[in-house]
Amino acid sequence: MTEVNVREKVLAANASAARGLRASFRDSGTLVVNLISSPGSGKTTLLEATARELRTRLRLGGLDGDIATDRDAQRLRDAGIPARQILTGGACHLDARQIEAALAEEGERLAGLDVLLIENVGNLICPTSYDLGEDFKVALLSVTEGDDKPFKYPAIFARAAVTVLTKADLLPHVDFDLDAVASQIAALNPSARVLVVSARTGEGMDAWYALLEESLAEKRTAVAVAAAAVPA
Amino acid sequence: MHETGLAIEIHRIARAVADERGGGALESVTVAVGDLAAVEPPLLEFAWRAVVEGSADAGAALIVEWERARQDCASCGEIAERAPGSWLRLCPRCGEPLRVTGGDALDVLRVVFGDGASGRERGAA
Repeated sequence: MTEVNVREKVLAANASAARGLRASFRDSGTLVVNLISSPGSGKTTLLEATARELRTRLRLGGLDGDIATDRDAQRLRDAGIPARQILTGGACHLDARQIEAALAEEGERLAGLDVLLIENVGNLICPTSYDLGEDFKVALLSVTEGDDKPFKYPAIFARAAVTVLTKADLLPHVDFDLDAVASQIAALNPSARVLVVSARTGEGMDAWYALLEESLAEKRTAVAVAAAAVPA
Repeated sequence: MHETGLAIEIHRIARAVADERGGGALESVTVAVGDLAAVEPPLLEFAWRAVVEGSADAGAALIVEWERARQDCASCGEIAERAPGSWLRLCPRCGEPLRVTGGDALDVLRVVFGDGASGRERGAA
């Protein structure tokens, strides 16, 4: 009998694929956001509005993870941007190798984008653990889901750089305490940004668009600075 | 519920460790699971049994070592109290937000395996 001490990450294979993706997104100057929320919180609706607003200024593309149907990717294509569905066949999250494979199969259609929008499988738990090579995770929480969710599902709210509170047009009809949610998120993740939006009415959406455009500009500046710092 | 995918990865990693050394069937695999890894040990153990069943490693044990996140309050120092099944968010003494570090481990720590075919031949020779 032999005993071997190792200390290998269970998700090492995913981490390695994610590193490769991150390097390739850096080379192409593509901002990548990974949207995570429960089903029905409005990820696709937010992205449809984003596509319609930003497609004239930026080259956008989408990857949509779901158990079944290509409905979400079709909705993004209908909103005017290239998008591919990734069917997980029952798995509760996207992993980096699925992103690699989907981008390889799409080829030029999803190459050299300004912003790649990844819509994860609707689930507040499992997708949190899988690095997809993104610049940051975005958690969505709709006001109809209840204002206790950040403390009930802490991992995603602790790791998402941005939380978008969606369906703000329904606030008058539900008991959803915005301040309570903001203070829970601040306790879990002091540097997180919190946006309150309604993709349906457009309320608050300018801040979301500005966040994407500023993040893209910051990434490109950082890449240019890093390239200039490398001795010839 | 992504424990099945994790169990498959754990088996792949452990098998690679044993194969590199000419080892045989796995006896046990020890993994570290952190508070914040979003993994339920009983579900992981159940998935592990399903993954190794029917393979040469059937019956190999999965041993889970739980790694806790550390909670620190800027005023009161390290806080040992826990919320059920997770960590606290606010200091129970002064109410300030706690800084949480660590607890994200999801690592294969130790692999124990029997002699492989080549090992047994050497032993018999």
